[in-house]
Amino acid sequence: MATPCEVLLELDDAGEARAVAESVARSAWRVEDRFSRYRTDNIVQAINTSAGKPVIVDDETANLLDFAATLHELSGGLFDITSGVLRRAWVFDGHARLPARDDIEALLPLVGWHKVSWRRPVLTLLPDMQLDFGGIGKEYAVDQAIAAVRRDFPVSCLINFGGDLAISHPRQQGLAWRVGVESATGPTSSAAAMIDLYRGALATSGDTHRFILSDGRRYTHILDPRTGWPVEHAPRSVTVCAATCTDAGMLTTMALLHGSRAAEFLESAGVRHWIQH
Amino acid sequence: MAANDKRIGAALAAATCTLLGNGTPSPAQAADDVNSWDFETALLYYGESDSRVRDISLSALAKRLFEDEKHLDLSLSVDTLTGASPSGAIATGGAQTFTSPSGREVYSTPANEIPLDDTFLDTRVAVSARWTQPFARLYSGSAGASFSTEYDYTHIGADLALSRDFNRRNTTMSAAVAYSQDDIDPVGGAPQALSQMLDVGDLTNRRGAQSKDVMDVLIGMTQVIDRTTLLRINYSFSDSSGYLTDPYKFVSVVDPISGDTLTRSPPSGTQGPGGVYRFESRPDSRTKHGLFLEAKHAFGSKVLDVSYRYMTDDWEIDSQTLDARLRWPLGGVGYLEPHLRYYSQTAADFYRVSLADGEPLPRFASADSRLGDFDAITVGVKFGREMRHGAEWSARIELYRQSADVPDALLIGNQFGRERSLDLNAIIAQISYRFGL
Amino acid sequence: MRGLGIGLVIVALAGCASTGVAPWERDVLAKPEMQLDAEPLDVAFDDHIYFSKEASSGGRGFGGGGCGCN
Repeated sequence: MATPCEVLLELDDAGEARAVAESVARSAWRVEDRFSRYRTDNIVQAINTSAGKPVIVDDETANLLDFAATLHELSGGLFDITSGVLRRAWVFDGHARLPARDDIEALLPLVGWHKVSWRRPVLTLLPDMQLDFGGIGKEYAVDQAIAAVRRDFPVSCLINFGGDLAISHPRQQGLAWRVGVESATGPTSSAAAMIDLYRGALATSGDTHRFILSDGRRYTHILDPRTGWPVEHAPRSVTVCAATCTDAGMLTTMALLHGSRAAEFLESAGVRHWIQH
Repeated sequence: MAANDKRIGAALAAATCTLLGNGTPSPAQAADDVNSWDFETALLYYGESDSRVRDISLSALAKRLFEDEKHLDLSLSVDTLTGASPSGAIATGGAQTFTSPSGREVYSTPANEIPLDDTFLDTRVAVSARWTQPFARLYSGSAGASFSTEYDYTHIGADLALSRDFNRRNTTMSAAVAYSQDDIDPVGGAPQALSQMLDVGDLTNRRGAQSKDVMDVLIGMTQVIDRTTLLRINYSFSDSSGYLTDPYKFVSVVDPISGDTLTRSPPSGTQGPGGVYRFESRPDSRTKHGLFLEAKHAFGSKVLDVSYRYMTDDWEIDSQTLDARLRWPLGGVGYLEPHLRYYSQTAADFYRVSLADGEPLPRFASADSRLGDFDAITVGVKFGREMRHGAEWSARIELYRQSADVPDALLIGNQFGRERSLDLNAIIAQISYRFGL
Repeated sequence: MRGLGIGLVIVALAGCASTGVAPWERDVLAKPEMQLDAEPLDVAFDDHIYFSKEASSGGRGFGGGGCGCN
């Protein structure tokens, strides 16, 4: 997952706590093993080395691909799981190295979901195209893990994978889980917002840690797949509260992709959100 | 565009539903602090034993958090004070009669008892407001104002504070300055310092309304020691100037050998004091320095707060305060918080028990036991319980006991055989309720 | 002179300013009972009572006072 994953539980029994934690870990590792692009033995690896040949995928992968297709359509082409190759040109480590225009131009032919042939269960990419589920994977893992906990354990639990979190039940006595959203610009010890979560999930996206600073301009790591360049005027940080972590996560990504219209988008979508510029 | 976004939001929720295959999830429910009010209200009872001072106080705090970590704090407090407090006169062999502060009537004390003035009844209203906001990345500033009024006293004050974080926000340094201007208009007018108490209706020694101003400077540092420990250290400086005397307190003038209060008779047809008393006099400036250290440490779910304060001033009053509080969570959402406080002070250099007749009058003199040597202990316990949606009830009860230590050097003759000072025993009881809107 | 001594103590203690925690280790410190301004009403009442009955005030915050009780 590449981020710290934590499980907060409200119970007395150490044995039960361990069982819940193990369940969450198993859910997380299962999703990671199946869909991480860094592994050499999973379906993603098979897809990314298919060299233009068709690949038959299983149900779970097919569901994710259907979801990605829907996101691509709903976002007007901004959300694109084939845009991972642009990573070769962009290194977001806070330094001032912008890529050369030619490097981006060379990669653009490999980007574009509309170039992919997806007729469930057969997926065919163009040669050298790459799929990256990184934009969906973490939130999906949270939802899978919390669903397992809800099904198997009658405890109040909060699962947090690096800022994408969900809860199984409110805390004892009907109290809320209290979550602080890290301040994007101000003090790291204080929160930009303190949220009382009774039900549902939260996801946060932003460029607090990954960006390039060049000539006084800040380039976010959220790239527009149509141009290969970062989205302009994106807010520093967006947090959304929704029924599931995947929903919340996709809304934050969509919001960032809308750049200066992020607030408008979330207002109209009718979800609780916190934006920091 | 908005309708389109709404459609997108709904379509996204539906797509997620399909992906997760868990059926329609319950809608999310969250609440946040921003743009909401936080209130805290409390009722306090303070009661001293032996029909002495009784105070009932009602307070309310309101806090509103705005975006970008700005907030507004408002407070309102009303309290009513009644009861008797020592006037500064000492016990003597016979009954004593005094003119009241207003100069319109007399009151008496039986023989061999320390006189108490019970003519007080006062209601006070105090309000304050403070605005706090961050500046730049690591700075925060605040500005506040306060106002209070009671029958004979009006206060107005303003303060400014600035703080900066260092060291990944583990260290915070702050500096603050406060200025206040108080006006005192004692009943009957402030008496001339060290003037003799006069008969009823005679206000020739009164000097009208007075004022004082106070400048406070506070420099502090907060340091995170580790995951469970926090430390705070403050240096404070305070400079008061103006009328610092208590206009209602006086000192008995006694026979230099027997230590008995000199007697007198008011002219026939008038009422007045049966003894010789002189109104107290304090310097018109006071400079204080203080050092305050506090540590908070969490042991599992319990939190211990210990603090020490040392104060010293140019009236020769030195004090030390040690305070400890332990927050002990009970199963569920309640807590118990025992509290212990120890206080000790040394007397002002102009503190005296009485004035000896025939000796030259000192420039400053006060027999107010609050300026003498004494120790005080407070023992208390607080119980709190959190309710749904973050509201909290709490109640506390404390016992405060002050025992003076009047040194033999200040006593003369028969004073040795009499009660030197009155111990103070008080109960403090408070109920609070905190809630948000 | 005493005032100067106190001032030096605080400066010396400020030197130990490299201890602390990382931002993700602030869970305990974020609890309400670990805040330095916890229980403001209790503190305000106590300050007022002790200002009226003792000769010292302030230290934790400003001297308070602003009342005719001392």
